[in-house]
Amino acid sequence: MLELFAAGFASVFTLASMFMITLGVFVGIIFGSIPGLTTTMAVALCLPLTFGMPPAIAMSLLMGLYIGGTSGGLISAILINIPGTPASVATCWDGHPMASRGEAGKALGAGVVFSFLGTLLSIVALVFIAPPLAEFALLFGPVEYFALALFALTMIGTLAGKQLAKGIVVGLLGLILAFVGMAPIDAFPRFTFGIHDLDGGFDILPALIGLFAVSEILSVAESDFALKKENVLTKFKMKGFGFSVKEFLGQMYNMFRSALIGIGIGILPGIGAGTSNIVAYSVAKSQDKHPEKYGTGCLDGVVASETSNNASIGGAMVPLLTLGVPGDTVTAMILGGLMIHGLTPGPLLFISNGVVVYGIFASLIIANFVMLIMEFFGIRVFAKLLSVPKHILLPVIFALCVVGAYGLNNRVFDVWVVMLFGVIGYVLNKLKFPTSPMILGIILGPMAETGFRRGMQMNEGNFWLFFTRPIGVFFFFATVFMIVFTAVGNVRNRRKEEARA
Amino acid sequence: MKSFQKVAALLVLALVASFAVQAQVKYPTKPIQVIVPAGPGGDTDLNCRIMAKYLEKELGQPVIIVNVNGAGGSLGSRKVKDSAPDGYTALFFHPSMFLNKLMGLVDYSFVDFENAGIAVMDNTNIFVVNATSPYKNLNDYISAAKAKPGKVRFATETGGFTHLQILAFQDATGADLNVVDVGSAAQKIVALLGKQVDAIGISYGIIKDYVASGKFRVIGVMSDVRNPMIPTIPTFKEQGVNMSFPKFFYYLFPKGTPQDIVGRFSDAIAKVAANPDAQAELNKFMVSAEYMTPAVANKYMLEQETTYFKYQNLMMNAKIEKEEVKK
Repeated sequence: MLELFAAGFASVFTLASMFMITLGVFVGIIFGSIPGLTTTMAVALCLPLTFGMPPAIAMSLLMGLYIGGTSGGLISAILINIPGTPASVATCWDGHPMASRGEAGKALGAGVVFSFLGTLLSIVALVFIAPPLAEFALLFGPVEYFALALFALTMIGTLAGKQLAKGIVVGLLGLILAFVGMAPIDAFPRFTFGIHDLDGGFDILPALIGLFAVSEILSVAESDFALKKENVLTKFKMKGFGFSVKEFLGQMYNMFRSALIGIGIGILPGIGAGTSNIVAYSVAKSQDKHPEKYGTGCLDGVVASETSNNASIGGAMVPLLTLGVPGDTVTAMILGGLMIHGLTPGPLLFISNGVVVYGIFASLIIANFVMLIMEFFGIRVFAKLLSVPKHILLPVIFALCVVGAYGLNNRVFDVWVVMLFGVIGYVLNKLKFPTSPMILGIILGPMAETGFRRGMQMNEGNFWLFFTRPIGVFFFFATVFMIVFTAVGNVRNRRKEEARA
Repeated sequence: MKSFQKVAALLVLALVASFAVQAQVKYPTKPIQVIVPAGPGGDTDLNCRIMAKYLEKELGQPVIIVNVNGAGGSLGSRKVKDSAPDGYTALFFHPSMFLNKLMGLVDYSFVDFENAGIAVMDNTNIFVVNATSPYKNLNDYISAAKAKPGKVRFATETGGFTHLQILAFQDATGADLNVVDVGSAAQKIVALLGKQVDAIGISYGIIKDYVASGKFRVIGVMSDVRNPMIPTIPTFKEQGVNMSFPKFFYYLFPKGTPQDIVGRFSDAIAKVAANPDAQAELNKFMVSAEYMTPAVANKYMLEQETTYFKYQNLMMNAKIEKEEVKK
């Protein structure tokens, strides 16, 4: 293995490869940091370019894009409260409050460092235990996906905090919106009203852009931002990465837990960084002794989100390389990039093309370091973004959101979806409803439904056979536990408040 | 005044004529968009990208692949159907288009487009089982299904190409299988590796490494004769199951696209299909370049469509039964 590793590193320690990695990380960060443009899009645009390159160089570019893009989303999340990609949704929740307090440097520094560590931990897992990890993916059938989705839906309780009822309403609204379009499995059109554009339902990305970017832009436009002098930047000062060694050490447990969540979710086909950052954030919040500090600008929230989303990179590469099954949308395209070079990911790839595989590992590691260096020096530049007047910055971002939504699937309809969800997000904000549960509803609703219906098919319509699958049973119990736990906690809190009053 | 009118008329005529000539002589003058109604990285996408690489050389203009995924490919096909018939937007698709119509997703078919011909043929549609299973061939599988009606599982993607195959298979053999949906090709592999299902329908190219590494066993290919690229795999017909389902990939233009433009594009396809480099590259993915002219392709596709619609009732019944199970 050491030999292969050396050969792998040798294959990417060429001028061309190093250049491609640097270029990839750079372009990735730009795509990642601009709301509306995503890692998936960066890879989709660059993929055809790689077809003419030798495999090692092609993979260098793609790995650079993947790592740069996934971490780049934190920049806009922290500075302007708009996630750059779906992978950084949860980064906004504490990153932006920190920035408005004048701690933008600290939030960015922590985001960058823990992105780096998240990626590194996941690569270690990928390199050393990929085959057994892949077995883990094989244990997940429809029943397990259904149970996992149910469990993840209980995160709504954690995310909503004290506004439990409002959170459930918004989560259900998300589930309902996820029903629009063709039903999973039998493709029966639901709630399409004969409008063919609705056949494919609402895509997750335009919905996210609308909910988080457009609604934020609308809110800012309404406020008297032009009259206020932005004084955030004047407070901007940072040394090193902006946080102390003690703060760093205090995050160790959070980091390992979030990395594990990120890797685990990354491995499961169909879900990736877009889900893991929210789940890791919710878990961090629910396990903390002081869940109320989340959302007010606590470092733990940024660390959980940024560690887990980057940890999903190594996770998603596991089933891709060992089984030929992509873990998320980016790896789905990387699969195409490998295939066109005659490399079929799967059981034989490690044997027949070991050098290429270890070259991919090496590219990931190098890209990770390039990302760290580039973003470390970039932080000061990124922070200048705040000095751009918002009446200039936000319209530009708005335009990019529209471009991004269109670019996703080349349909104007998706632009209307952005607008629709922008208005929904704006109204929810106005009525003081939390928006984050809606995302869980939209992502997890189809996963739960598809898992349930496929599970019913496999078990010939007998739901009770669902309880013969151990992993499924585990998640069912965890779901019940979470519901009881949240309900009891809520009742207790109310009693306390009543006693106080 | 009259002479002025004449001159003007002549000028207009000349202009029109020159445009006509231009249209005839100069196509393409700008990049051509080919819509792939599927995500990047799948077989439709890869075949289309290989073709595009060589088509660019023949046409002298970039051929840009645009992935419009969703709704079983009907979002993409509808986009092309509604595009300007100027020869700069084409569709690259396979028989799922018939299935979209059969399932009632769309109310149009390939005859509502201008056919530019078939370009790629995939004769590697196979049934695969886990190597640890007792099924050595189709008959083992059929007898197991007959011994335990409704218990032996077959994984497909409902409304997809393999769904039609399994309905035809049950119809031809009288086997009663538990046909379950597991999703895309990649998910089928996971389901079979994890032994969640007994057999899957898939293309050979995707699982060839699993056969080589001894994890999977192929029990038959749905082609008329043995595929020379996989000569050891017996056909369904050899094993007494009279069915054959080739997967073919073709180009369509919006209705009303001028015939000479379609013809020009079709000629380019023919040249690419005859190019040994293109053939070799396609062969790597176990598919072959097989050109059919628009006329031949139309006839062939009509025949295929008729075969498919024979199973419409079966498919609809499957759908209804499932609804009832749900209730």
